[in-house]
Amino acid sequence: MTDNDNFLDRLRTGARQLRYEPDEMMSIRIAARVRERIAAESQTGIAQILARWFRPVVASLATLALVATLGIQWAEQSPDTSAPSLDTMTSTQTVDISIGGDTFSVE
Amino acid sequence: MTPLPMFGGAAAGSLGFDRLAFGVEKAPTRSATNEDPIEARAIAAVKTGDAAAYDYLVSKYMRRVVSIAWGVVRNAADAEDLAQEAFVKAFENIGRFKTGEPFGPWIYRIVTNLGLDVMKHRKRFRHEEITDAAPAERRDRADLPAIANELAERIDRGIESLPEMQRMVARLYLVEEFGHSEIAKMTGLSEGTVRSHLSLARGKLKEKLADLHGGSND
Repeated sequence: MTDNDNFLDRLRTGARQLRYEPDEMMSIRIAARVRERIAAESQTGIAQILARWFRPVVASLATLALVATLGIQWAEQSPDTSAPSLDTMTSTQTVDISIGGDTFSVE
Repeated sequence: MTPLPMFGGAAAGSLGFDRLAFGVEKAPTRSATNEDPIEARAIAAVKTGDAAAYDYLVSKYMRRVVSIAWGVVRNAADAEDLAQEAFVKAFENIGRFKTGEPFGPWIYRIVTNLGLDVMKHRKRFRHEEITDAAPAERRDRADLPAIANELAERIDRGIESLPEMQRMVARLYLVEEFGHSEIAKMTGLSEGTVRSHLSLARGKLKEKLADLHGGSND
């Protein structure tokens, strides 16, 4: 052991008294506050777990509902281009009618 | 025997806590593995959600944690807050704690890190002050342990005069009697850096406390 270590050892002996000793009241107070905070966190923990599960589910459902609403709105408002309108049919197409073996064409 | 308050019921009794009460436990010893079976059971219980079992750990490490906290903040009220914060933080992160290891080094590391945060905050705050570079809050010696004699007070003044990290390391080494590797783990510094801080601190303390080592150049 070096002299330096001896010096520190001597200091350690003297410095031991500098350790802070909490009194009984302080110890009880700290323990009580720790318990209180842990209990509070346990309660909020359940709420947080529920929120953790429900939030994404609710968000997904809301997104689906929004998309569905917009889709319906769009489908209702946009003109149907695949089905011909009555005007188109009457102006460009002929209708064939067969009666008694004879075929008549009506424009 | 007096059961622990509030949580001294069946859960505490099943762990053998009923033979313990606040303030009767000696300062815990340190080891690489957990040699306290009650502590190991308490940690296991806390991990499975038994918050009541945490009471044992709080009571066992209370003194040391408060003392480490006090060494940083130097007043009882702040030390109390810091210790409380450390215990709550340890509880919140108990899932990360490795089973089988002693709780002590972990909680000491947490309180030391919180203390370092306080020191950083105070340093930032001090920079904003126009007057006086010395931290006023550290001058308050009213909370010094009452039994401290003249020698202890001189050592305390010597430690307090050191720069921040040297002060922290010196206090953990001299007052709390932690080893180099323990201090390294607690502060997040390398063991070499801890030794370096301690060596610098030792040099300065020797100057201030020359009469304690006979005034020689050892």
